[in-house]
Amino acid sequence: MKFLCVPCDSPMKLQTVGPPERGSLSVVYTCPECGYEIAMLTNAYETQIVQSLGVKIGPDRVRAEGASASQADASAEAGEGRCPFTAMIPPMEGEAQRAPTGEPIPVRWTAAAEARLANIPAFVRPMARTGIERFARERGAVEVDEKILDAARDFFGM
Amino acid sequence: MKSYHDIAGDGGSGVLEQVAEQRTRIADGLAGVRHLVAVGSGKGGVGKSTLTLYLAGALRDRGLRVAILDADFNGPSQARMAGVQRAVFVPGTSKVALPRTATGIGVFSMGSVVPESESVEFESVAHGDSHTWRATREFALLGEILGSFDWGTLDLLIVDLPPGSDRTVQYADFLGPHASFLLVTIPSQVSRGVVARSVAALSKRSNRLLGYVENMSGYYCRDCNAIKALFDSREPSDLGIPCLGTVPFDPELARHCDLGIPCASFRETPVGLALDQIAQRLLDDLGTEPRR
Repeated sequence: MKFLCVPCDSPMKLQTVGPPERGSLSVVYTCPECGYEIAMLTNAYETQIVQSLGVKIGPDRVRAEGASASQADASAEAGEGRCPFTAMIPPMEGEAQRAPTGEPIPVRWTAAAEARLANIPAFVRPMARTGIERFARERGAVEVDEKILDAARDFFGM
Repeated sequence: MKSYHDIAGDGGSGVLEQVAEQRTRIADGLAGVRHLVAVGSGKGGVGKSTLTLYLAGALRDRGLRVAILDADFNGPSQARMAGVQRAVFVPGTSKVALPRTATGIGVFSMGSVVPESESVEFESVAHGDSHTWRATREFALLGEILGSFDWGTLDLLIVDLPPGSDRTVQYADFLGPHASFLLVTIPSQVSRGVVARSVAALSKRSNRLLGYVENMSGYYCRDCNAIKALFDSREPSDLGIPCLGTVPFDPELARHCDLGIPCASFRETPVGLALDQIAQRLLDDLGTEPRR
């Protein structure tokens, strides 16, 4: 979608994208010639269509999603697994994950391993974390580093 | 006054640029795939997924590197049948390692992500209007999967399509002209009629139509080691494309699919032999030999 300043016959430039509010985005365009500003306010259908393409909008590419989806992304980044599929992901708590007390043995992640985890799609990230931690525990490791990831890849992957 | 096409760029949203980036990422991810074969039908319940899995097995037995992408996000079955329901997704340096079966077939299925007691849902700000955007969201997810997983060097990537003639065509558009199609029918006029629609729709595109497989062409009775009639259909399918073979129904094979374990005992049966011949025909048509 493009906007044209008719008096100047000049393409307007996308200036800012307001934070999503109740399914609506506020996108401000400015004419570089006369400085006139307009705002495009999307309805929920328009917002959803853009969101469905899996793209971001704007000069800083603010994500074209509703507030709840943004929170979900933030939570997923924080490792809380609030991606759209998280609620449907089965727990993977085998015996090997649990200490004699029944509590899962905590497993640390190195920064490099976390970086690799952050690089994969959000919808598989919580499962990946759980499965790899279980893989590490089964081998007596208390830390997931890149060596553990490579070993898991050889074990599970093609 | 300027028109849309007089203005360079896409107005600053970056949408077109990002869509192009997604396309590039998908193309890069599939660069090592020699043949992309989509197994579709149009009709549901004809055994696309079972044929996909066992054809992949027959190809793997020949030493080929094979992977399956279960593109039926709403009714994924490959995870159960291939025994990868509890697959672990491992992040590599840039892509996710593709889970594999015990026999070395790579499999991505939404059934490894979402348990069977749940439906696949997408968050939406347009509540109650999923018919307006759901297909777009599903194809965006397909793109994310193709671009994010490490498909590596494959002889064949087999895409197990969802039912629906319209969906078959949408996948042809999405996967591009290099994707070949193998259609599956059963010997009923109802099924043949639906598959004929898929043939008609695909024929308008540049994708290669390899042919069709007639599944459930009889019932294999293990007790008497004979094929018995399953459908009252005496006329051969006339879909105007090559028939790559016919496969009888084998309850034992279906049982193994439910259990998610390979059915080793079927290789010398009429079903196993039929699948083996279809696999060979497929390879001959594609002109593929195992990588050295």
